[in-house]
Amino acid sequence: MSTPQSRPPVRRALRRLPLNAAAALTVVVCLFPVYWMVTTAFKPSTDIQSYDPRLVPSRWTFEHFRVAVGADGFALFWRNSLLVTLSAVLLALLVALGAAYAVARMRWRGRRQFMLAVFIAQMAPWESLIIPIYIISRDTGMLDRLPTLTLIYFMITLPFTVVVLRGFIAGIPPELEEAAQVDGCTRAGAFRKVAFPLLAPGLMATSLFGFITAWNEFTYANFLIIKQQDSRTLPVWLSSFQSTFGTDWGATMAASTLFALPALIIFLALQRHVTAGLASGGVKG
Amino acid sequence: MSTVRERSVPRDAGRRRPPVTAGHSGGRGRGTLWPYLLVAPAVLGMLYLLLYPLARAVLISFQDFRLRQLILGDADFVGLRNYRTLLGDPEFWEVVRRTFVFMAVNVVAIMVLSTLVALMTERLGRVARTVVLSSLVLVWAVPVVAATTVFQWLFHSEFGIVNETLTGLGFESYEGYPWFAHGGAAFGIVVVLIVWQSVPFAAITLYSALVTVPAELYESARMDGAGAARVFRSVTFPLIRPIFMLVLSLEVIWTFKAFVQIWVMTRGGPGEATTILPVYAVQTALAGQRYDLGSAASMLTVLLMSGVLVLYFRQLFRQEGEQP
Amino acid sequence: MKYRPLALLSALVLGAGLAGCSSSGGSSDDAGDGSTALDVWLMRDSVSAAFQKEFETGFEKAHPEIDLRIQIQEWEGIGEKVTAALASNDAPDVIEVGNTQVAQYAQSGGLTDFSDRVGELGGADWLEGLAEPGSYEGKQYGIPYYAANRVVIHRTDLFEKAGIDPAGIRTRDQWIAATRKLNTGGTQGIYLPGQNWYVLSGFVWDEGGDLAAKSGGEWKGGLDSPGALRAMDFYRRLQALGKGPKDSDESQPPQAEVMAKGQVAQIIAVPGGAKVIEERNPELKGKLGFFPIPGKSADRPGAVFTGGSDLVVPAVAAHQEEAFTLIRELTGDAWQKKLAVAMSYVPNKTTLAGAVADDPGTAAMAAGAVNGHATPNTPQWAAVEAKNPIKEYMTAVLTGEDAGSAAADASRTITETLGSDS
Repeated sequence: MSTPQSRPPVRRALRRLPLNAAAALTVVVCLFPVYWMVTTAFKPSTDIQSYDPRLVPSRWTFEHFRVAVGADGFALFWRNSLLVTLSAVLLALLVALGAAYAVARMRWRGRRQFMLAVFIAQMAPWESLIIPIYIISRDTGMLDRLPTLTLIYFMITLPFTVVVLRGFIAGIPPELEEAAQVDGCTRAGAFRKVAFPLLAPGLMATSLFGFITAWNEFTYANFLIIKQQDSRTLPVWLSSFQSTFGTDWGATMAASTLFALPALIIFLALQRHVTAGLASGGVKG
Repeated sequence: MSTVRERSVPRDAGRRRPPVTAGHSGGRGRGTLWPYLLVAPAVLGMLYLLLYPLARAVLISFQDFRLRQLILGDADFVGLRNYRTLLGDPEFWEVVRRTFVFMAVNVVAIMVLSTLVALMTERLGRVARTVVLSSLVLVWAVPVVAATTVFQWLFHSEFGIVNETLTGLGFESYEGYPWFAHGGAAFGIVVVLIVWQSVPFAAITLYSALVTVPAELYESARMDGAGAARVFRSVTFPLIRPIFMLVLSLEVIWTFKAFVQIWVMTRGGPGEATTILPVYAVQTALAGQRYDLGSAASMLTVLLMSGVLVLYFRQLFRQEGEQP
Repeated sequence: MKYRPLALLSALVLGAGLAGCSSSGGSSDDAGDGSTALDVWLMRDSVSAAFQKEFETGFEKAHPEIDLRIQIQEWEGIGEKVTAALASNDAPDVIEVGNTQVAQYAQSGGLTDFSDRVGELGGADWLEGLAEPGSYEGKQYGIPYYAANRVVIHRTDLFEKAGIDPAGIRTRDQWIAATRKLNTGGTQGIYLPGQNWYVLSGFVWDEGGDLAAKSGGEWKGGLDSPGALRAMDFYRRLQALGKGPKDSDESQPPQAEVMAKGQVAQIIAVPGGAKVIEERNPELKGKLGFFPIPGKSADRPGAVFTGGSDLVVPAVAAHQEEAFTLIRELTGDAWQKKLAVAMSYVPNKTTLAGAVADDPGTAAMAAGAVNGHATPNTPQWAAVEAKNPIKEYMTAVLTGEDAGSAAADASRTITETLGSDS
């Protein structure tokens, strides 16, 4: 304040105060229940749901994490979930990228009908498709197998992925690609070098969506993986802390905390790509 | 205002609707087979993994299909009986009305909040932006059961911190107040939970769309003396409109189908206060594993949902026609 | 260059396929040495790890031709899982299911009928509360496995301090008086959440009422009968002697954990709950006692809901005869005695009650089991529990609504649910 040089930053900070206050409020509202989940995972069981709820646990323990990690098949569930989820997301991205490109950049008969079908596919009543899908898998010998789950998760995320990617591709000026083509790139090469980096935010949004959807799915995993305990996925693990005496909430919350981490990690990893993509693509300019 | 329009619209159009010739020559240069090859995997996937099971689900809704038929096969056709059972239940229409109210309240809250959050996030500095986005992702990633349980705890009558805080602030009447025993309160808590869980997805997607809006558009609009609200209305919104409408329609679909949160929290109670269509369908279908009724209820839900979205679909169809 | 992601992807998918194959290789019927692999599903916490190991070793020693493979199933989504198993081509051979669940699976035709082998299994002495729900239309599908019912778990030190002898609590009036005396200062006389409908059911049966009764071929909800209303009134008086939440049940929060906090003199739970309390709060070790839920008069303990499990064999199971061998062993006297002692269960036969006389919790439970009841035996009952109008009714009364009209509403809902065609 005393020196003239420091005044502009202060004034800017003051001007940005409402904005930052709003951001802080958003973070607090978002994170309070998450905070409650995480601290519950660190509370001794007798302090969970006490008559005198406290913001900060009075005692800390790693016991619940020990129980959660020590559950039967822990490593196996992680492997299965990662495998199924990542394959489904990659498959959906690949298939959707082709379809979205065709819709956004090419003119062909049936394009409008295709788009409409994709939109309608988002309304699919998956909760009542489970019985037909069960019957079909049973009759084709696909029960108890992880690829079945992969295909279902692929299909659940595909329509959304197509629609969002199409929106993003349509937003990229074709002139950019044409310029690259003039410079001697093939059409695919032009797309990869020019449009792909610009797609980064869209790819991030869709892959995150696909990841979280498939990662959390319980009903199909429970219904289609029957006898092969080795093929069960993580959501089944989350429900393994229930017994006849009620649920071990400490362990459940510890498991939920560990369960939510991969999505955050994936986001942080993609986030860097998004900013990098924006910088190199020069969209803003 | 007119200057803003003049400056933004041509650019806007230039970006979103590229010259027809460009699209044309590109598409034709490779022959007409390419687009079909590119969409073929998606089409095949949808046919086998979606349409085929869906057709069988429709079939089930016209059959007498219960646990017995699932195990032994041989289901009989009963025509429209399942649909008659549902439509003839006076409770059904009450549930439909409640579902629409529930959807409207949720969708409006989600869209307003997530647009505000997205706009705010775009203006934040790098660090603050990452913090906000990360916390949004965390919320989104929390397993539904954990989130629902935490909300149940927060509002628990004896052990909840909400009652504790309210009592501490001097509202003595909230000592042991049973939130889930009152229809309105239970409905409100379910709405808060669903909005809280849905905003992250909507906000992140809208934010992804916002960052592709060229900054210079804002600058030129601002130089023309447009206020923040005007810039949003005439520059930002038209550009993110496709994504906005997409998110809107998705939220309509998802709140229409919200189930787990309600089932874990209130089972549709107290009374019928939080019974919306999917809850009703499960309650009806659970009686003796009535997969046929459950299937019929899902089909009716899809029909009702299409009713809400039909305008959107029509507009979309028209828009697609205009584009190259 | 476009093939790279494709290759990666197909490797991943292929990997998933291989993983599926390699693990399914283990499930082929031959366990390698010519013996038959027998898949058995037991529920989480229905047997301890130690008992499971002991049983596996003992069983395979007695039957070297069978390779026993026990899988522990989770409670969440178990209904769908069993349904999926029964409808599949490759079902497990033996499944543990809740006693009240057997009827709906039996009705569907997915279970093996054991009617002609009941004698061989000693069926004459089976607990009524397990055998009856295990039958459907006169045929026996579910074989009684174990039972458990609720008792009062209390703090012996608090009782002593208040000068109360738990053995002297034989009637409801004595129970209320003792609980009132305990309910002082920071101590809750009893922690009874408002929606423990199994406890209310016991009171209803004590008063001669029932949750629903069949008359003239129609099921009718019975919560509005004068007896059931008296039961609710007693529940309200008892519930008021502590700080049990009026709007949740015994699992939210788990009542054993509430008691472990040390400010609760009594809860109503299965005796196994005491182990959880001691685990959570080791200071309470040796300070927990048990007595049967008091009845209306001193000569008869209070009525209780008999919970427990039956064993069933899917009709499509590949090894019917081996499955029967397993059931004969596990429900036979020798293993039943060991199981009851290890897990604090009531054994499946009345003649085995002596096996648990040494364990105070199980003994109290066995004393109460004499007056055991089951929920209405109709496949539709599962639908009532899914919505559970009883819980809402209880909360309504406890928060001050008129009991008569709330009971009438709840009964009507039960009648409608049970009457929807099956």
